[in-house]
Amino acid sequence: MSAARPAARSLFSRHLACPSIAGFVSPSASPASCRSFHASPQLAAGRTKPARKNKGLSLVNEPGKKPWPEKQIREITAKKFPQYTPEELAELSKIYTKEQMASLQAGEAAIDPRDLTIQGRLRKDPYRINYLDDFSTIQPVIDKRPKRNQAPDPMARFMDLDHFTRDLIEWADQFEVGEVTGTLKKLEDFVPVEFRDKSEAQWPGKVRTDAHESYMAYLQEEAAKGKDGKSAQGGDRLLRGPTDADILSYILRRSSMTDKGLISNSEMAPGLPNKVPGVEGMYKNPVDPEDEGLDEEGKYQDLKVRTGMTVKEILNLRTVVVSRRWVSNQTRLGKVGGTSIAVIAGNEKGWLGLGVAYSTEPSEAMNKALLKSIENMKPILRYEDRTTYGNLECKISGTVVRLFARPPGFGLRVPHQIFEIARAAGIQDLAARIPRSRNSLNTAKATVQALQNQRSPEEIAMGRGKKLVDVRKVYYGGQL
Amino acid sequence: MGIHSIANMCAHLQNATRARLGITSLPNTKYNLHLALALQRAGFIASVTRGGPHPPAPEEFQTLEPEPVTTANAATRRLWVQLKYWNNEPVLRNMQSVSKPSRRVTADLNQIGRVARGFEAGMHKGLNLGECMFLSTDRGVLEVREALEKKVGGLVLCRVS
Repeated sequence: MSAARPAARSLFSRHLACPSIAGFVSPSASPASCRSFHASPQLAAGRTKPARKNKGLSLVNEPGKKPWPEKQIREITAKKFPQYTPEELAELSKIYTKEQMASLQAGEAAIDPRDLTIQGRLRKDPYRINYLDDFSTIQPVIDKRPKRNQAPDPMARFMDLDHFTRDLIEWADQFEVGEVTGTLKKLEDFVPVEFRDKSEAQWPGKVRTDAHESYMAYLQEEAAKGKDGKSAQGGDRLLRGPTDADILSYILRRSSMTDKGLISNSEMAPGLPNKVPGVEGMYKNPVDPEDEGLDEEGKYQDLKVRTGMTVKEILNLRTVVVSRRWVSNQTRLGKVGGTSIAVIAGNEKGWLGLGVAYSTEPSEAMNKALLKSIENMKPILRYEDRTTYGNLECKISGTVVRLFARPPGFGLRVPHQIFEIARAAGIQDLAARIPRSRNSLNTAKATVQALQNQRSPEEIAMGRGKKLVDVRKVYYGGQL
Repeated sequence: MGIHSIANMCAHLQNATRARLGITSLPNTKYNLHLALALQRAGFIASVTRGGPHPPAPEEFQTLEPEPVTTANAATRRLWVQLKYWNNEPVLRNMQSVSKPSRRVTADLNQIGRVARGFEAGMHKGLNLGECMFLSTDRGVLEVREALEKKVGGLVLCRVS
């Protein structure tokens, strides 16, 4: 045992070890000399001296020995084991309840102080503890944690259907529901007098049907009365059933085993149920009927407000994962891995957005990236709704993306990441080159940036103060 | 002599518009003046005025009658240029010189025609959307479309967009 003992007790132990002060304690048996600092037992071979006969530890009235004088015994008893004074009892009764006081006094009365004097002595058996303690207090380091509850019942099993039904009925019986007052009529009251003694099976069919009908009508009437609170027959009593708190306690606390609800020493806290009665449904996201049941989880509600799109429109967007990377955050606890995902969103009609998100949970990263990409959507310029205005170039880090406008019917002859982006944006004719680094995330970023930062010819013309005409449109007479 | 100042002018104008300056000045050379006037015709700059070491007042830029260049003041003459911005963006964004004193690059009429339509011709890449190319021809410094109209080729000075 490595726990330190209080200094006072150690001093006391040393005093006991000294025969001149406590004459009835043998030095060899003194607690201090026996105090071991390790768990293994002491070697018997080390003891060279034979154990001396212990005279000091004899009983006061040992047979064959002169007994102590009665006067001395009384003196020592009165000095060492005095009775509680009325003042002390008054103090104690402030701390303890009446029942506890009664048991305290019963305990006091059960042991004769004289017996303590003539029989009480220090232990010297091999199982004694090697320090002095009266065990009145629990020392958390030295003493084991007290087990307040019993050990679990080894014979307990999970309830089967019969057990469960009986248990449920037993639980429900503690609440006064329905016919407890004895004032409600029964089914028998609705049949003619001659059939009342017979069982239901013996009633003629007509009588039985009539009885059931009128009984049901009576029950409904009574229930309605109870609801209005007007029932003369104790209507509120009729309605008093288990409260929400009772049901919660049944779900949380009631044992599901055949141990009769025994509370045992378990480290496990009871789990919360999925649906807490009384709270159920109160914290649910309000479902917008406009969504047509497409967003039960409320995933797009925030996005709906930010973008002004309906859930249906959001779900109809084209979204593509363009980059998925395993990234790690180096902390002092080691590497914390996570996933970074880049998603492209577009409506295929000239709106395009890129969202990049990180999370330790891949699905979470995916979700975040998706929502971000939709939120980041911006309109891009498209020439004739099919290609870009001129050739574009954008550089992100070591990645350079060059996009080239192409004539109708050319198609998307571009690398695969740019293909997805162009398709999401609704561009049909495009050529592209990635002359340098082909990092997928930077490619996506550069492409989106190039498409979003196009300058319109009108803007250029206005800046220069020129008149601008699209010759193509003029030549074909506005037929394009 | 002279074409090196074009390269300097290109770099300087690009730096000045990126720094969002309102006016800037260039050395007063014939080449610089003609190119500046061509830029003004193309709408890249607002005005060009010959002045002294200090810029003319902003309201005088369009109307100022420059004092004649004499041997006494020739060394202090500068070309003062007003730069243009639209929607918070410079109108003149990129200005790259093409010819340099050690390597003069020319374009003939054929090439000019192709380049103006956006196709490449020889070493010349096609013009992109909103891009201009300036040539020094025997009819003066012209934009590529003006040169095409006048059916002259010449020395390629710079590309501007």
